[in-house]
Amino acid sequence: MPIDITMPRLSDTMEMGTVLHWHVKEGDEVSSGDVLADIETDKATMELQSFDDGVVQNILIAEGEQVSVGTAIARLLEEDEDPNSAPAPEAAAPEKAEPQAAVEEAQQVAQTPPPSTGGARVSPVARRLAEDHGLDLSAIQGSGPSGRIIKRDILQVIDATQETEAAVVSAPQSSNVVANVTPVQQPLAPTSPWQQDRTEKLSNMRQIIAKRLVESKQSIPHYQVSMTFDMDPLMDMRKALNEQLSATGIKLSVNDFLVRCCALAMAEHPAFNASFGGDCILYHGPVNIGMAVALPEERGGGLVVASLRNADQKSLRTISQESSYLAKKARESGLTVEEMADATFTISNLGMFGVEHFTAIINPPNSAILAVGAAIEKPVVRDGELVVGHEMSATLSLDHRVIDGAMAAQYLKTLKEYIENPASLLV
Amino acid sequence: MTVATKERVIEFRDALQEAMSEEMRVDKRVFLLGEEVAQYNGAYKVSKGMLDEFGPRRIIDTPISESGFSGMAIGAAMRGLRPIVEFMSWSFSLVAADPILNNAPKMLYMSGGQFGCPIVFRGNDGAGGQLASTHSWCVESLYANVPGLKMAIPYDAYDAKGLLKTAIRDDNPVFFLESERLLSTKGHVPEEEYTIEFGKALVRREGTDCTIISFGRPIHFCLEAAEELAKEGISCEIIDGRTIRPLDIETMIASVKKTNACVVVDQSWPFASVGSEIASQIHRYCFDDLDNHVHRVHSDDVPTPYAYNLEQAYLPNSHKICEAVRSATYNI
Repeated sequence: MPIDITMPRLSDTMEMGTVLHWHVKEGDEVSSGDVLADIETDKATMELQSFDDGVVQNILIAEGEQVSVGTAIARLLEEDEDPNSAPAPEAAAPEKAEPQAAVEEAQQVAQTPPPSTGGARVSPVARRLAEDHGLDLSAIQGSGPSGRIIKRDILQVIDATQETEAAVVSAPQSSNVVANVTPVQQPLAPTSPWQQDRTEKLSNMRQIIAKRLVESKQSIPHYQVSMTFDMDPLMDMRKALNEQLSATGIKLSVNDFLVRCCALAMAEHPAFNASFGGDCILYHGPVNIGMAVALPEERGGGLVVASLRNADQKSLRTISQESSYLAKKARESGLTVEEMADATFTISNLGMFGVEHFTAIINPPNSAILAVGAAIEKPVVRDGELVVGHEMSATLSLDHRVIDGAMAAQYLKTLKEYIENPASLLV
Repeated sequence: MTVATKERVIEFRDALQEAMSEEMRVDKRVFLLGEEVAQYNGAYKVSKGMLDEFGPRRIIDTPISESGFSGMAIGAAMRGLRPIVEFMSWSFSLVAADPILNNAPKMLYMSGGQFGCPIVFRGNDGAGGQLASTHSWCVESLYANVPGLKMAIPYDAYDAKGLLKTAIRDDNPVFFLESERLLSTKGHVPEEEYTIEFGKALVRREGTDCTIISFGRPIHFCLEAAEELAKEGISCEIIDGRTIRPLDIETMIASVKKTNACVVVDQSWPFASVGSEIASQIHRYCFDDLDNHVHRVHSDDVPTPYAYNLEQAYLPNSHKICEAVRSATYNI
């Protein structure tokens, strides 16, 4: 039996995947463990390895093509399998009288992957009906137990499709009207070539950022609370520590201190290490700090959130080593799903760009995100005297379903104690 | 033709008596024996008037000894007669297990074709109404397991007569399962002679959403359930299998291919039952047509209770059937 290679689900949130590059071509022999392709998921680019030995019979989607999880993307023939006996797309072709038509049909078949389920449960008759109507099961929501796709779900899709088709056919004239009033379809007349409007297809990452942040902003009742911190003690300590560590190559950043401060404060305020669960609040055990990392333009831009696990249990030195490793890896080769998963709180720091103050959108399922500005030298009042000192402003965005304003203030107060008395970070 | 369709309504028990009497008139080899079948006209008045018509040589009262008179009848069948053995209840046939299970169905095979066993065992099967654990047996699952026998289980008077005549004419042992609860029900039975071929199921009610397969008395519960479910917009197709061996699986398959859902209602206990056999075959032959697994409704897996309310709750009643159909069609 030929083996279908399907688009794997490489992360919890992955629904679609893109084959960036095929490492094999049709007719190649492959062994278990060989890399077949590079797959771009919603956040990372990963290698797809073969689980079987065999010969690549068909490559079903082209490089750059995006398909749903579970869709067949290639087909392997097992060793010693006769390619002519397998029900392959090409095998059907020679029956046709006209060779040209046969080739075209074979190509069409090859480009239309068989309906797949993405591992979902499907009742047998629902599966048969979907096949009969050429429906992609991975795009259908099941209403049966455990999300099983049942006959009723398929019939609803068939009905809806027929209604849509009928509507499109019956309203050909109104489409002109729509075109006239839709500004997106009518770019302003360009006055010179470099003023041409252009559209760029969304990358996978841009799609997922768009989708998840709209969901976050629309479903979470956000509000913000800000506080300003005296950074002089922390800056002094950082300077002293970095001088002592200079021989080791370790250089503590302001952000490393903030990760530790936030993590310790979270251990004291469990609501900041929690997720809203519909009819409950889920308090997480481990304190994992997510660190937003902007990706360079040449890697397609966008951002990822690297996960610093058990940050409340780790020393400044460990945090520094881990965060610089993850940031470098994110920018250069990309993070694994594991390295991005399970953050329970996120820090977004634009201080290095000179930003003084901004607000961030919560990264679900977190309940809070801290937007950190730069530590800036400015005139400050200390003990009734006007002096020059470092101050930093940070703004929490909060999910009001989990955290109330007074709780946010308490958290910031704890954070302030850690930041302004940094010796406590060493123990 | 007008004569053929004339309505003649009689009781289930009289339909049984007509079948036996008609066959005895045309075939001198046929005779009836059992406890109180002669002078008392049958414990349930099924053989009423038969002693008067056929005399004591063909309508024979026996001692209370199922093992003895069953064995005697099997011997008679082997020697060329065609006995009908009445068990007052199939519950009492258990003491005759050796002759009826170990001899009759195997005789043709073990004698290399020298001796057949054209015999009918008939009587009341299933809960009669507060007869308690030992007198409420449903033997269909237990006995249908044995190769070499046939098993019929009529639901109404028309089928009772047509199937019993076929049973008497059959050259193999036929286990004929009646229900005490059905004996006084009335139905149309034509004057004209007819028989009903074994292995031909009957669609008792047509429907589109769920196939309900059953036999004998539970058909009544199925019809009740279908009325109730129709009010909820669920359309049930009820198939009366009529005979368990041979089993008309083709008619059942055709219906399930149409409805994509199936509930099997079997009054025997659930474990290793007629219901589980049918469910298995439906899963095999209708795999790609099913929207859900085949659901089964049985008597509960306990000895039959004596208390009226518990007995009613124990049976495969219409409430249980409704629940099963709703679940099978994802309407819960």
